[in-house]
Amino acid sequence: MSQTVWKRRLLLALTAAVFVGGAGAEAAKTVEVTLLNVSYDPTRELYVDFNKAFAEYWKKKTGDTVKINQSHGGSGRQARSVIDGLSADVVTLALAADVDAIATQGKLLPVNWEERLPDHSAPYTSTIVFLVRKGNPKGIKDWGDLARPGVSVITPNPKTSGGARWNYLAAWAWAKKQPGGSDKTAREFITRLYKNVPVLDTGARGSTTTFAQRGIGDVAISWENEAWLATRELGPDKFEIVIPTISILAEPSVAVVDKVVLRRGTRTVAEEYLKYLYTPEGQEIAARNYYRPRNAEVAARHAELFPKLEFVTIKDFGGWAKAQKEHFGDGGVFDKIYAE
Amino acid sequence: MKIRRAAAGASIAALLPFAGVALAQSAGSSDANSDLRREIEDQRQRLAVLERKLEISDEAAKAAAASAPKVTASASRFQIGSADGANFVRLRGTLFADIRAFGGDSAPETADTFLLRSARPTIEGTFGNIYDFRITPDFGSGRSTIVDAYAAARFRPGLVVTVGKFKPSVGLERLASEPDLRFMERGLPTLLVPNRDLGVQLSGEFAGGAFAYQVGYFNGVTDGQSSDNLATPDVESDTGGDYAARVFFQPFINSDNFGLRGLGFGVGSTWQALDGAATNPYLPGYRSQGQLSVFSYRANTATGATPNNATFSNGERLRLAPQLYYYRGSFGFLGEYTQVKQDVSRTLGAVTLSDTLTNSAWQGQFSWFITGEEESFRGFTPQTTFQPGKSGSGAWELVARVQQLDVDDAAFAGGANSFANPLTAVSKVTAYGVGVNWYPWNTVKFSLNYDLSSSEGGVATGDRADERALFGRFAINY
Repeated sequence: MSQTVWKRRLLLALTAAVFVGGAGAEAAKTVEVTLLNVSYDPTRELYVDFNKAFAEYWKKKTGDTVKINQSHGGSGRQARSVIDGLSADVVTLALAADVDAIATQGKLLPVNWEERLPDHSAPYTSTIVFLVRKGNPKGIKDWGDLARPGVSVITPNPKTSGGARWNYLAAWAWAKKQPGGSDKTAREFITRLYKNVPVLDTGARGSTTTFAQRGIGDVAISWENEAWLATRELGPDKFEIVIPTISILAEPSVAVVDKVVLRRGTRTVAEEYLKYLYTPEGQEIAARNYYRPRNAEVAARHAELFPKLEFVTIKDFGGWAKAQKEHFGDGGVFDKIYAE
Repeated sequence: MKIRRAAAGASIAALLPFAGVALAQSAGSSDANSDLRREIEDQRQRLAVLERKLEISDEAAKAAAASAPKVTASASRFQIGSADGANFVRLRGTLFADIRAFGGDSAPETADTFLLRSARPTIEGTFGNIYDFRITPDFGSGRSTIVDAYAAARFRPGLVVTVGKFKPSVGLERLASEPDLRFMERGLPTLLVPNRDLGVQLSGEFAGGAFAYQVGYFNGVTDGQSSDNLATPDVESDTGGDYAARVFFQPFINSDNFGLRGLGFGVGSTWQALDGAATNPYLPGYRSQGQLSVFSYRANTATGATPNNATFSNGERLRLAPQLYYYRGSFGFLGEYTQVKQDVSRTLGAVTLSDTLTNSAWQGQFSWFITGEEESFRGFTPQTTFQPGKSGSGAWELVARVQQLDVDDAAFAGGANSFANPLTAVSKVTAYGVGVNWYPWNTVKFSLNYDLSSSEGGVATGDRADERALFGRFAINY
C-alpha cells in the first residue's frame, strides 16, 4: 500500500478521533456532574430544597452524583451575567423576557425555548401581593393606597429586577381597570406611586431586606412567596400580607442554556433537572416554598396558601417583548416617570 | 463610605437632644408629643433610607467589579479577559538582539555580526476555558514568517487536540520555549529533530502530570527544519508525512520526595517513508554551535543530459530521541540523545547507490542559579530584580554544556561517489560551552556564551579549524 493511501487513511482516522474525543469528553463525565442554576432573587430557599431532592432522585436513577450550584440576584442582572459569560447550565429567571434576552442577545439558546417544556417553560407561578407592618398602620388595602401621600413604598428597580417589573405591571393593570382608566391615568398613577418609593433595590430579596430588616417603608410590593417567607422567617407578629383586588399572574421561566451544556457535556442532566420541576415531587417542593404549582392535585393540597383573586397576565400587555420595550427599555415609560 | 454614614448618623444624633428638650418642655401636651415622635420617626426613616442607599451602592460597586472584564498589565503579563477567567486574550513577545564574534580561522569575517535573532510578537488566548489559540510571527533574521499558528481544544487533561503549525513533540530542548533556553542556541541534538510543522496532534497527561503523551501526524520536515523553510513555505511538498509520538514520565512530580520531584524522562520518535527524487533531495544540512554550515549532502553537479546526481532521501526516516531532565533546587541538568536513520540514494549515470545512514547527536547541559532561584524546565521567578539605585541584583545563572554530532561514516565512503563530500562536510563535531545569564527583571535577560567546537573532516587539509564563538544577547521576553 502506498504512503499516500496510508496518509489519507491516517488523516481520516485522526479527524475521526478528534470528534470522537470531543464526544467522549461528554460521555465520560457521568460519575460526578456539577450544574450551575442561575436564578433570580427569591428562589434561594426553593432551590435549596429542590436541588437536594433532585440530587437524591438522580443518584437513585443513574448512580451518578450531581451537585447543583446556585446563583441569585436581580433577574435582569442575572440574565446579563449569563450573556456576558457566566456559565449557567440552566436559568430559572423571574420572567420570560430575561430568558429571551439570553436567546436573542447572547444567542446561547434557541428563540423557541419556551416550547421545549410544558406550560411554556413556566413550571410554577406566583403573583404580587403587599407586605405591611403588623396591624397595617397605614391602612393599605389595595393598589390605590400605595400612591397616597405619606405612604412609603418599597419595590425594587424594574431595570434590574424581574419581580419589580411584575410589580409595576400589576399596578398599571389595576389603574387601567379603575373607572375611567386609560394608559394616561395608569401612567399618572404609576408616577405618583414611584414618588413614594424612597429606595430602589436591585432585586426582590434586597427589597425584603430593606422593608423587613432595615425597617424602611410602610408597604413592600412583593412576590407572594417572598411575602410568605418574610412572614414565616421574621415573625408573623411583625408583618401581615394584604391581597390586592387585582394582581398579575407571574410566570417565572426556566430553560437549559444550550451552548453551555454542549460545552460542559451536561445537557442530559440539565434537561432532567428542569423536567423534575414538573413532577409531583417537584411541584410539591414549589408549593411548600409558596410558589403556585401547575399540578392541580398539589395546588388543591395547598389551597389555603394561595387565595383566588383577579389576575391579569402578560398577554394583556401584548407579551413580554412589547411590554419590555414600552415600559422598561431605555427611554421607556419607567425611565421617563422616574426622571420626572 | 463609613465616613459618609458617620456624618449622616451624627446629623441625626444632633437632632435627638433637641427632640429630648422639646419632649421635656411639652410633657403636658400629648399632641406635641405625637408630633415629635412622628418627627423622630421621620428622621429615623431618612437615616435608614440613606444607609440603605449606601449599602445598595456598595453592593452594586462590588457586583460591577466582580463582573467587569479584567485587564492585567504587570511586569510579565499583558492580557484582557472575562471576570471568571474563562476567556482571555494575551499579548506576548520575544526580542533577541545578538552579537556574534569568532576567534581563529573557523569563520569568515562576515560571521562577526550584530543580529536580530528573533522578533516575535505573540497573540494567544483561550475561550471557554477549553479552546486555545496562538499566533506568532517572526520578523527576526531578515525574514517574515509564521512561527506558530495553531488552535487547541483541551477536552480534558488526557485529551488535547492541537491543529495547525507548531512544534512536533520529539526533541526535549526543542520543546522548551525560547525564553526558557539556558544557552542562546539550542544544542546539536536539536539539529536532528523537526522544528515547526503543520499537522494534528493528540496529547494529554495523566496522574497529575506523572505521565504525558503526544501522538501526531505532520506534513514532515527535514532534520532541524521548519515548514517555512520549504521551497513553498508552509505548503506540503511531498506525498509523505511524519508520524510523531512521544511519551514522558515524571514519576515523582506529585511526591513529597523533594530529591526526585524534578526528574523527568521519556522518548520521542518520528517515522516517514518517502520515495524521493534528486530534484527534491529532502535532506538536511547541519550547523555548528556558531550557526555556521558544517555539513550537507552532495548537491547536483551533473550537466547536460547526465542525470541529477544529488544525494536524496529515498525510503524511510526514523528518528529516536531518548531524553531526560533533572532539577533540584537551584541546580538543573538536561540530557538528550537523538538518532536519525535515513535512507538515501544517489544516481551516478546508470547506477543508483543507496544506503541507510545513521546520524546522531547528544548533549549534557548543566545550569545553576548562583543567586538561589529554583531551576525548572519551564520558567522561574527571580528572587530579586535589579534597578539602579536600589538593592537587588536580579538572578544570575551559570551554564555549561558538552555535546557532539556524529555523521555516519558511510556518508563519506566511496570517494567521489560518496553521499557527502568529506572535503566540505564534517563527520563529527564535539563542542564545549559555558555561559552566564543575568535576569535583572522578570522579562529581561542578558546572556553571554562561549563555545569551542572541534570537528573531524570538513576541509581539504583534514579537520575544520576549531570554532571559537563568543555570543552575547539582550533578550526581552514578556
